[in-house]
Amino acid sequence: MRRLLPYVFLGLVLVSLDTPAFAYLDGATGSMMVQAIIGSVAAAGVFGRHALAKTKAALVRIFRSPTSGDR
Amino acid sequence: MPSAASAYEAARDAGVLDQLIDKGLLLGAQEVEPDVLGREADGAAYVLEHPRIPFVSYPYEWSFSLHKAAALHHLDLQLELLKHGFALSDATAYNIQFIGSRPVFIDHGSLLPYTDGDIWIGHRQFCMQFLNPLIFWAVFGIPPNHWFRGALEGIAPEDLAPLLSLRHNLSWTVMAHVSAQAALQRRSLRKGTIAGKPSERRLSRTAFQGMLEGLRRYISRLRLKADQTVWGDYAQDNSYAGAEAAAKRAFVSEFAAATKPALLFDLGCNTGDYSFAALQAGAGSVVGFDFDFGALEQAFQRSVEGGSAFLPLWLDAANPSPSQGWAQAERKGLSERTNADAMVALAFIHHIAIGRNVPLEMAVDWLMAIAPAGVIEFPPKSDPMVQKLLAQREDIFASYSEEAFLHHVQARGRLVARKSVSEGGRLLVWYDRRG
Repeated sequence: MRRLLPYVFLGLVLVSLDTPAFAYLDGATGSMMVQAIIGSVAAAGVFGRHALAKTKAALVRIFRSPTSGDR
Repeated sequence: MPSAASAYEAARDAGVLDQLIDKGLLLGAQEVEPDVLGREADGAAYVLEHPRIPFVSYPYEWSFSLHKAAALHHLDLQLELLKHGFALSDATAYNIQFIGSRPVFIDHGSLLPYTDGDIWIGHRQFCMQFLNPLIFWAVFGIPPNHWFRGALEGIAPEDLAPLLSLRHNLSWTVMAHVSAQAALQRRSLRKGTIAGKPSERRLSRTAFQGMLEGLRRYISRLRLKADQTVWGDYAQDNSYAGAEAAAKRAFVSEFAAATKPALLFDLGCNTGDYSFAALQAGAGSVVGFDFDFGALEQAFQRSVEGGSAFLPLWLDAANPSPSQGWAQAERKGLSERTNADAMVALAFIHHIAIGRNVPLEMAVDWLMAIAPAGVIEFPPKSDPMVQKLLAQREDIFASYSEEAFLHHVQARGRLVARKSVSEGGRLLVWYDRRG
């Protein structure tokens, strides 16, 4: 389910987007819009990886035997 | 956006240029007085002098691995720049060149100071010129070079997305960077909406870095399908393993040792056997050309493993890269970029003289125009590989003979040496147009 979250997020954003109409279109409009979505997911991924790494480090500290570090 | 001069000054004064050059990410350069260019300087604030790149190549001449190496180099450069508070003003693949098999970034003027929140200006261009051609190649097993050559800005997400199935879209990168971007772009076109100026959009530094790292992970895992790395001439290549191959290597080595070319072209380089022989004998660098993408993959791997000054590129000799782009001067054709001091064309001429119906004299003329000195191999009509070309067609090549070949060569230059290298009568000729 966790792997599906980015796709669900992307779907919700795609159906909710609307911006004012202009006569002329910049060629990178799709890129600029999609960066907001991809960036959010990427940032969440970075945050998640950091959180996971911190959690792992904390667990290692908790469960490591007090004597193991002295050997 | 700062002026080009002030952006350059910022990168230079922060020591970023030097650090990138030291890491091999950016081509070395030094400031020289603008006067050296005379009127061409045209009021330029700075003029940079850099080491000459042996040969300027374009993305539509790259193999899959070259294209992948260029994409990863671009991302590595962006990630390194971000650490120093800089970004790039664009993401054109033409700013990556190869020295041997090593990619290097060449546009010192495209570094910009980065402010947290800046959007990735070059995202769409990166997709069109790096990501989409690689996805197309890896997913469908079809080289995108013809497409890229016809569309110099690369493959648009809107053009690639309709070809992709639901299965392909299970990849987040494909779904987001190709299909979603294409959908948003199409939607904007339909509704006539725009996203505004890039400076009005925000993207956090963490998000930007995450996007770059995500693309790097995805591209580094992209592989060709297994059969795409097998070269068509495998059996032929192996049949040369004996005395014939040794004789050819010796002849090429003798030629390279005598001429010491700074740059040698190897036409029909296959996996690079004779390119490496030329390098070992004294050639400064070699650019190889072949039509077979599988052979080019092998050649590239060998060049990387040996750290060689050997760049294998894709070429259809009967239809080389033309001069094209704005005013037909933006991207030069092969003949305008041909700067070789010497050339070798082994097991090559029959492919154009018989395989592509080019009259023998024209084939000799084209080959000898490439470099002032060179080695050309002539396989007679009785040769098994020539017979293979003739197997499914009428023999309309009455003028294809050793006698005619030698006549055409000697009409254009001096015949320095010749050697028969097989029982079947394959002939090697060393010519020199300079007398």
